[in-house]
Amino acid sequence: MRLYSYIIMRILMIVPTLFGLTFIVFILSRAGGPNVVISAYINPHIPYALQKAQLMREFHLNGPLWVQYLYYLSGLLHGDWGYTKTGVYSGPVTGAIAVFLPNTIQLSIAAFVITAIVGIPLGTISGYKKDSFTDQVTRIIAFIGISLPIFWLAQMLSLAFATNTVSPYLNVLPLDGTVNPFLLTNLNWVSSQGLSSPTHVMLIDSIIHGDLPVFFSALSHLVLPATTLAFTTIAPILRYMRASVAEVLNQDFVRIGRSKGLPEKLVIKRYIRRNALLPVMTIMGLVFAGLLAGVVVIEALFDYPGMGYWAVQSLINYNTGGIMGVTLVFGLILVFTNLVVDIIYAFLDPRIRTGE
Amino acid sequence: MIKDRFLDSIKSRFSMIKFTLLVFTRNISSTLGLAIVLIYVIIALIDQFYPPLLGLTNISKLSLNFTQTLPQPPSYAHPFGTTYPGIDLYHAILKAIRVDIGFSGFVTVGAAFIGVMIGLVSAYYGKWLDTIVMRITDIFFSIPYLVLAIAIGFFLGRSLVILSLALMIIWWPIYARVVRGQVLSIKEYSYIEAARASGVRNIKIMFKHVLPNTLAPVFVQFSFDLAVVVLVIATLDFIGFTPANAYLPELGYLSYIGYEYAVNGYWWTILFPGLAIMIYAMGMNLVGDGLRDALDPRLRR
Repeated sequence: MRLYSYIIMRILMIVPTLFGLTFIVFILSRAGGPNVVISAYINPHIPYALQKAQLMREFHLNGPLWVQYLYYLSGLLHGDWGYTKTGVYSGPVTGAIAVFLPNTIQLSIAAFVITAIVGIPLGTISGYKKDSFTDQVTRIIAFIGISLPIFWLAQMLSLAFATNTVSPYLNVLPLDGTVNPFLLTNLNWVSSQGLSSPTHVMLIDSIIHGDLPVFFSALSHLVLPATTLAFTTIAPILRYMRASVAEVLNQDFVRIGRSKGLPEKLVIKRYIRRNALLPVMTIMGLVFAGLLAGVVVIEALFDYPGMGYWAVQSLINYNTGGIMGVTLVFGLILVFTNLVVDIIYAFLDPRIRTGE
Repeated sequence: MIKDRFLDSIKSRFSMIKFTLLVFTRNISSTLGLAIVLIYVIIALIDQFYPPLLGLTNISKLSLNFTQTLPQPPSYAHPFGTTYPGIDLYHAILKAIRVDIGFSGFVTVGAAFIGVMIGLVSAYYGKWLDTIVMRITDIFFSIPYLVLAIAIGFFLGRSLVILSLALMIIWWPIYARVVRGQVLSIKEYSYIEAARASGVRNIKIMFKHVLPNTLAPVFVQFSFDLAVVVLVIATLDFIGFTPANAYLPELGYLSYIGYEYAVNGYWWTILFPGLAIMIYAMGMNLVGDGLRDALDPRLRR
């Protein structure tokens, strides 16, 4: 019963956050004056003054600011997120989100999985055997992870591993895009309407159509960006896991597990790691925020058609709708991630919901 | 009498700082970090006040050489090689250090000041003010900082000054949260109650009795942020936030120029600017780690 009331309270708490988020995006877009808002809709072949008057009326730019905000909110709720015109996509913002967001989610999930697979075991070992050789190496990795410019790491990795570079190093992984475009020329799942892609994610679409070459191509295109992205988020996980394991190590239940005669492996797995993971859950929201920030750079560098790539394209092309859409979507993702993390944490740790 | 008390308080503060430094320098890695940061700061100061000492002219702009635009490999004349169009990387990096350190310092000091003030006042008075401020920080935490910086910079204009103002707006909530946590616990101590009972005004209690005791975690956060903000400024410049003043010496911009050449085998065009950022960020992170240990009362003994 307590848990349900906590969840309801936590859900109610995001309402002001959502209003604030939309308000920030709205205020930013209006800060440059009305011309910034209507510039995307101007047709250069029709006299400007004529269009301006009409557009000002259409977008309710003459009224007071709070009325404009309400119109903006109602537009958001009705699916009218504006219009974006860049080199990679022209059309309504919601359409662009449908195209770009799945790729970003795919990339973030891949990076998140790598982070978890590498970060949690390494952090456990590091905390379990403090000041051992593994611990020192792990700490150095974590340290480099927080001091490294992510774009530089991406450049260096692509210089070393990518095939499209002239440099005579290890040419094993593709440099940019989501899939080898030559594979798409004679596909049986390309119809006259273009590519039949129910999810907009090559990795899943190719499985749906049973096309293995495309699947492996998409997978190999994911390796470089996901690894680079994961490198920056592994660092906080490592540090937290190490501290948390070191704390759990001296608890009574670990000693009891050992005195029962359990093998040490089982003690680590069942008693130490499980309890150490609990505090690490709290920074998952933070890690996810770091991932979403990194996505912008990584996608721009690897020409990976996701939200970040679109954001940078909008930035270069002076496109208002794109910037507003990306900011809003990333904000919404983060708000709901934090919500889910908090609720999961409340499930796992009863102290939170009783308010101790 | 009053003067004596003032001197005493200064003396005790000074001995505290001396003790902290002693604990700090006992750790080899944090001393190394401090040395790295000091070298960078000295370079930046020389850039600012007497550039000929490092052989630099015109420190606010990269010097181009159109007689040989293709990147040249490292040699005796150009220790780090050159990048397009004929920019000597050694001189460019020396110039860029001033810009990067200057702007990251500006951003972090500004953000820390705003955050500390807001956190202090809101936590001290509490109640509805505290709730509102915390909700506002929630909103700022709900947008990835890089995306928010892009949005602010996009709508307000693309110059390094506006960019640093944008980063300041993004960074203050962290300090507000850090200070708030401190103030909430300090508020309950009896010396604050005693001060209040003896009729000291709220403003004086806040700034004289509460604020100095909240600053330790702020300094730690500050040193970590100096590293992060350098990375963020370089990243933003890299993805196309290049200010209208082209050929501004900035480490992210130097890597941006170099990228197209690096994939064609001119590796030094991105290696050295990246290393310059990384070494500074590492030094600053080492300082932050050392400072956190030195200011931690559990580890101080």
